[in-house]
Amino acid sequence: MRGVVLVLLVSCALLGGCWDRTEVNDLAIITAAAVDKAGKDEIDLSIQVFIPKEVGGGGLGVPTGSSTRELTTVLSGKGINIADAMSKVQAKLSRKVFWGHCKIYLFGEEIAREGIADHIDFLVRHPEPRNRAYLYISKGKAVETLGIESVLERSTAEALREYASLHIGMPVTLIDFRNMLKSEAQAVAIPYIQEGNKLKDKEQIQKNTPLLGTAIFKKDKLAGVLTSKATRGLLWLRNEITRASISVDLPEGQGLVSVVPIRATTKLIPRIANGKWSILVKIDTEGDIVENATKLNMMEPSSIALVQKSVNDEIKSRIRLALFHLQKEFDADAGNFAAAFHRKYPQEWEQAKPMWDALYPQIDVNIQVQAAVRRPGLISRPAGSTDEHGKAEK
Amino acid sequence: MGSLSENARKWWRSHKQKTQQQTAPSHTPLQKQLADNEQRLRDLYANCSDVVFRSFRIGGTIRALAIYIDGLTNQEELERSVLSVLMQTKLPKDSPLTKLLDNLVPVTKSREMSTVEQCLEAIANGNPVLLIDQQERAIAFGLARWEKRQIEEPVAEGVVRGPREGFTESLHVNTALLRRQIKTPALKMEQMQIGGYTQTQVVLAYIEGIVDEDLVAEVRARLGRIEIDGVLESGYIEELIEDHPASPFPQILTTERPDVTCGNLLEGRIAILVDGTPFVLIAPTTLFSLLQSSEDYYQRSLASTTIRWLRYLFTAISFLLPSLYVALITFHHEMVPTSLLISMAASREAVPFPALVEALLMEITFEALREAGVRLPKQVGAAVSIVGALVIGQAAVQAGLVSAPMVIVVAITGIASFMIPHYIAGIAIRLLRFPMMFLAGSLGLLGIMLGIIVTVIHLSTIRSLGVPYLTPVGPIKVAEWKDTLVRAPWWMMNTRPHLTGDYQKIRQGANQKPGPKKGGDPA
Repeated sequence: MRGVVLVLLVSCALLGGCWDRTEVNDLAIITAAAVDKAGKDEIDLSIQVFIPKEVGGGGLGVPTGSSTRELTTVLSGKGINIADAMSKVQAKLSRKVFWGHCKIYLFGEEIAREGIADHIDFLVRHPEPRNRAYLYISKGKAVETLGIESVLERSTAEALREYASLHIGMPVTLIDFRNMLKSEAQAVAIPYIQEGNKLKDKEQIQKNTPLLGTAIFKKDKLAGVLTSKATRGLLWLRNEITRASISVDLPEGQGLVSVVPIRATTKLIPRIANGKWSILVKIDTEGDIVENATKLNMMEPSSIALVQKSVNDEIKSRIRLALFHLQKEFDADAGNFAAAFHRKYPQEWEQAKPMWDALYPQIDVNIQVQAAVRRPGLISRPAGSTDEHGKAEK
Repeated sequence: MGSLSENARKWWRSHKQKTQQQTAPSHTPLQKQLADNEQRLRDLYANCSDVVFRSFRIGGTIRALAIYIDGLTNQEELERSVLSVLMQTKLPKDSPLTKLLDNLVPVTKSREMSTVEQCLEAIANGNPVLLIDQQERAIAFGLARWEKRQIEEPVAEGVVRGPREGFTESLHVNTALLRRQIKTPALKMEQMQIGGYTQTQVVLAYIEGIVDEDLVAEVRARLGRIEIDGVLESGYIEELIEDHPASPFPQILTTERPDVTCGNLLEGRIAILVDGTPFVLIAPTTLFSLLQSSEDYYQRSLASTTIRWLRYLFTAISFLLPSLYVALITFHHEMVPTSLLISMAASREAVPFPALVEALLMEITFEALREAGVRLPKQVGAAVSIVGALVIGQAAVQAGLVSAPMVIVVAITGIASFMIPHYIAGIAIRLLRFPMMFLAGSLGLLGIMLGIIVTVIHLSTIRSLGVPYLTPVGPIKVAEWKDTLVRAPWWMMNTRPHLTGDYQKIRQGANQKPGPKKGGDPA
């Protein structure tokens, strides 16, 4: 008797399940989403949906491997906000839209200028979208990027995700965006990519790089764009540089030397003296030489010293470039000096907080770079040199 | 329910009486007249064409009768050492025959008997019985011999390194195999008979001084409680003495290997050997001992430890993989890496069933194929595996009935379940896989968690002859982890596992780790 009751109870528990059961083949898997401005008070939401039957893993034995078929399709819907536009898009699809695998969110330049915080709210509040999805700002219309075909990857979404994990630009996830927005500086940096229209065919892909630089937001509104070179400076400033190659011209050696930093740390040391706010950016880095087109033998400590000095200067100039834009042009503290001041001078910060926008451009920035070149690479003399005869090919 | 068991008891009682009437009431003494005894036995063995009654006269004068069962007795030896010797001897008519016979008959094992029951038992066991006129006693000669299987390598428990002999169906061969490894007189073998009709010989083996006396008494009592008409395999005994009959987990270890039995005896467990089967029962057992192979102790410690962990991992896979797959694919799509989900979605595109149905379909088919492979004659077995591989592997996928990832999941699960060294434990895990799949299909990962919790609770409640099933992890016994979480080298196995009592805890000399300073040849 007890057993029967138990079985009945257990089956009751099972009846409660299944309500949110969805088979994979009832899902429309979103791989990327783009938000553009459509008109006054209206947005245009486009999603890139994966088409499973085109992958052809259905076990038909023969792979349908023809790459001419598109694996994804783009659907759009207009609405007053993302949720509204979403329902319009859903109406166009026979399967339930699934955000769980959307790893890329693109915002058009236009909508970015008006502010994207409201749209981000949907993405972080809804349980399905991932907090660790990457954000990109697109030049022109964001939807165009979704339509282009990636050379290597299955979809543009995949390409952009891989791009972010390469750390060439500055990868920013939803959660990063929220954190930056909530931080003292209230400035946000998001990678800025080329218009989709300019990357449509092979020729264009060869000519244009997808990554143009970094979009700098003041609060949630786009303030301006840093070039690729200035982005490097920003990355140094934010202690986020992982992959870089610094090429410096050495007049003494009549040529260029390229150094790849393998380790880099940046410290922001704020200082308030006599009411004057200044900050010391202290960079400590270590790198290897990857190319030496000079006549110098990199086994010589003196040559290494030359390289180190030039690298120091180069890094400094990159940071200066970034800071020039940030401080003088956009007045957006993307390097998050505010947090550094807040930590060291909490009281002064509380007072200065309301006028931070006015204060920030005035801050004096000193940069100290300590670059150490550790290894000359696999060879010591320049590859082109024929040292015995005292000649070097140029 | 109460009335049912009452009925059963009544049936048993009447049945028992009938059996006893058929054989004989206990302790019927033998009569003085040979004719009376002969008549009695001929009545009992009416219509038994295999029982041979051979009348003859000792020394040409005294009437005597030899009774044996054809095929169970060494007939040549009986003729040579008993019949011909006795026929040619001259004996005074009223000498104490049995004493003299002992001097005359060159048979090592012979036993005097005074009741009909003793005679019946001796005859049934293949020992010829000699009845002599004017004697109230009979003699049984130890001349039993019947065709038996050779000692072979155990089929179900193969090893790469380790002894290759396995138990056989013959009880005395089996006890001899044990005695050959454990020579001490402390190895006790208590014999008893179980089964109204089969009167199966059952031997309870243990090592005195290592085993807990209470444990032996408990097993003795449980065996004594059994009232059954026949015992054809040790499985009968296992089901009648285990602690939790409703549990899917075996609480008694079965093995075909003498080395496993000896190893367990040395750790203070008891073994039950049953005549007619090569499978020996070992108790108490724990979940972890079901996941150990005898080879673990013969290989190098590091290798054994790694293989043990591989086994634990695959036990978990065998238990959970199909349900995990079902849960992920029906509820938790976001937990699968994107490219994997895309592949899975693509392969599931044409599949008409929900993932749960798909999984059940494949798992049941797999189990059916496995069972068919075991039962079928060897010649047909190959055909089954080919058909199975084609049906499960390729055709089902091509026909769009199941998806390719599901085939992979089922295949891995199948392999995983065969990694459990004791077949019966593997079946327990297989059984539980199905409710887990239902839980996963209806409640997702939550259901799997619930299932795991219920299973662990169950495992921690059951005991095998008083020893908690999850020892040494259930009740934590750190000293025994050396033989569960790892297989410590032999020079570290200084203490015996603690079962129910502490008897001879120290099993070997301390500080036996070999090293250059430990003597030996300095060169």
